[in-house]
Amino acid sequence: MANYGMALDYKNCINCSACETACKEENGILMGADKHRIWVGVGEIEGQYPLLDITSNAFHPSQCQQCENAPCEEVCPTHATYYDDNGIVRVDPDKCILCSYCMNACPYDARYVDDRTMTVDKCNFCSDTRLARGETTTACQTTCPTKVRTFGDLDDPESEISILLRTREHYSLKTHLGTKPKLFYLT
Amino acid sequence: MSLREKINNIVPIRDDFSLKSLLSFEKTPLNVFMAILSVGLFLWMSYGVGVYLNHGHHAYNVTREHPWGLMIAMYVFFVVSSTGLCIISSFGHVFKIPGFAIIGKRAIMGAILTILAGFAVIAFEIGHPVTMVIYNVVSPGLTSAIWWMGTLYGIYLTFIILEFIFLARNDHRWSRLFGIGGLVVGIAAHSNLGSVFGFLVARPIANGVFYPIYFILSAMITGLYLLFLIYGFRYKLKFPPEIQEFLYKIGKLLALLLAILIFFEGWRFLTAVYGGMPERADVALHILTSAPFLYGELLLGMVIPFVIAFTSKGRATVALVFASITGMIGIFFMRYDLVNDSQLAPMMMLKKREYQLEPHWVDYFPSSIEIAISIGAIGLCIILYYVADKLFDLDYSQEDIHH
Ligand code: SF4
Ligand code: SF4
Ligand code: SF4
Repeated sequence: MANYGMALDYKNCINCSACETACKEENGILMGADKHRIWVGVGEIEGQYPLLDITSNAFHPSQCQQCENAPCEEVCPTHATYYDDNGIVRVDPDKCILCSYCMNACPYDARYVDDRTMTVDKCNFCSDTRLARGETTTACQTTCPTKVRTFGDLDDPESEISILLRTREHYSLKTHLGTKPKLFYLT
Repeated sequence: MSLREKINNIVPIRDDFSLKSLLSFEKTPLNVFMAILSVGLFLWMSYGVGVYLNHGHHAYNVTREHPWGLMIAMYVFFVVSSTGLCIISSFGHVFKIPGFAIIGKRAIMGAILTILAGFAVIAFEIGHPVTMVIYNVVSPGLTSAIWWMGTLYGIYLTFIILEFIFLARNDHRWSRLFGIGGLVVGIAAHSNLGSVFGFLVARPIANGVFYPIYFILSAMITGLYLLFLIYGFRYKLKFPPEIQEFLYKIGKLLALLLAILIFFEGWRFLTAVYGGMPERADVALHILTSAPFLYGELLLGMVIPFVIAFTSKGRATVALVFASITGMIGIFFMRYDLVNDSQLAPMMMLKKREYQLEPHWVDYFPSSIEIAISIGAIGLCIILYYVADKLFDLDYSQEDIHH
């Protein structure tokens, strides 16, 4: 069994939104501003001409961090949120009671309500679709034109992601909360 | 054996109870007003429930960024009331503090009915209440504060129902045992409800020890307000001597508890603002300058009742009955703010501008359906109380005074 994570070479992101579209397509995510598993943050250019701050105009792709110590899992009253064998945090729609506690507890705003099942949904690294079919890639990663995303097994020292994390500096978000995120931003 | 005898064997009901007695009451202006008010509120709630059953959560204004709304606040409001009544009534028949035993039956019945109203509200907020009942048992999430809170409240309700039955049967041994059980489980359940918010590591404004402790204190204050209202209405402000004595006592107690609460709140905000930590200090300052806090919580909920209770040494009973109305409005805002304030700071993790500009504060105002169900549930609660008052003898007997 694998221990999946994702590295993001975010400075290469061109905000084409192909990943968001591919995610919706692959996983059948409904339309609507609230309904997104992944997103790309857009920084507005700050400052007054001619003193423009071009570094502020950055793109930050993000999604569920697949926390190793996930607050959403800890607070779930019915174990609807659980860690699967691949180290992915998943939601079992049969057990979810839509108490929304996990949405409140997630420090990354990664969860939303799927209106078809009226249960909480989030990114699960394409576990129900691509991984279930035996593939080892995610939709967002395959589609990205500038190869921002590297998805792979953190436990395999020879995997592309492990090599990247050994050789490139990187950071994760809100690590002070002890969530141990498995999304890594390469600097 | 007739049905009435069978019921009487379990829990004694009033001899004069009949369908006719249920529908007849003294037609004073106040009574008529209360009747119209509660039936109106109840119909409003039913309308809200009807819309909810057709449209689900789309009838509510809750969002991805603000998933908990007025319904959660109202649930908290009702269960705080229940725990408060249970704690204050335990002063009498658990701790045997003289003068408190006379409220036993009425207070415990109030505790039962307020928690039932709370459950009624939450049933329309939880997306899948039936799944909840099943999977709470089949796959319990023992690290979840919601699991503990829900389970303990279930046990608590069982205990206080049994406590009431034995009180009504004048069986003071068993009622005391279940009273102790209800008190301990109720306090555990209620502080767990505080921890539902206190455990949120993602929300610095809520995270910490404050809520689990504050919940117990504010529950007791809520219980006192409700007792003033219940007895003010029961005796139409003309109290028999034992009740008057009792109300003097809880008037003093109210002044003390409010002073402690104001002290707690002072330090809560000082520690929150000090050091300027983001998502804590900024939120705290925002709360401190918001109308629901200043006028709702502080003025109506604490200052007015405190000034009256303190300056009169707890003896201005009639004024305190009216102050309890403002007090309960204040308590409502405490619950609403608790839920709303916890979610004020936007998470917006790197969502610097995706589908929307980053808001300064997450915006939420309840939908008309949320308001209908939540506020309407007060009508449900009053109607249940009216029926209970007709069905059972909730007044004290001479025996209660000596126990
Ligand atoms: S990012 Fe949020 S939803 Fe994803 S595992 Fe962590 S706490 Fe759960
Ligand atoms: S909304 Fe569903 S997944 Fe989230 S905590 Fe509640 S039961 Fe668990
Ligand atoms: S597909 Fe790649 S480049 Fe395009 S928005 Fe997504 S992460 Fe950025």
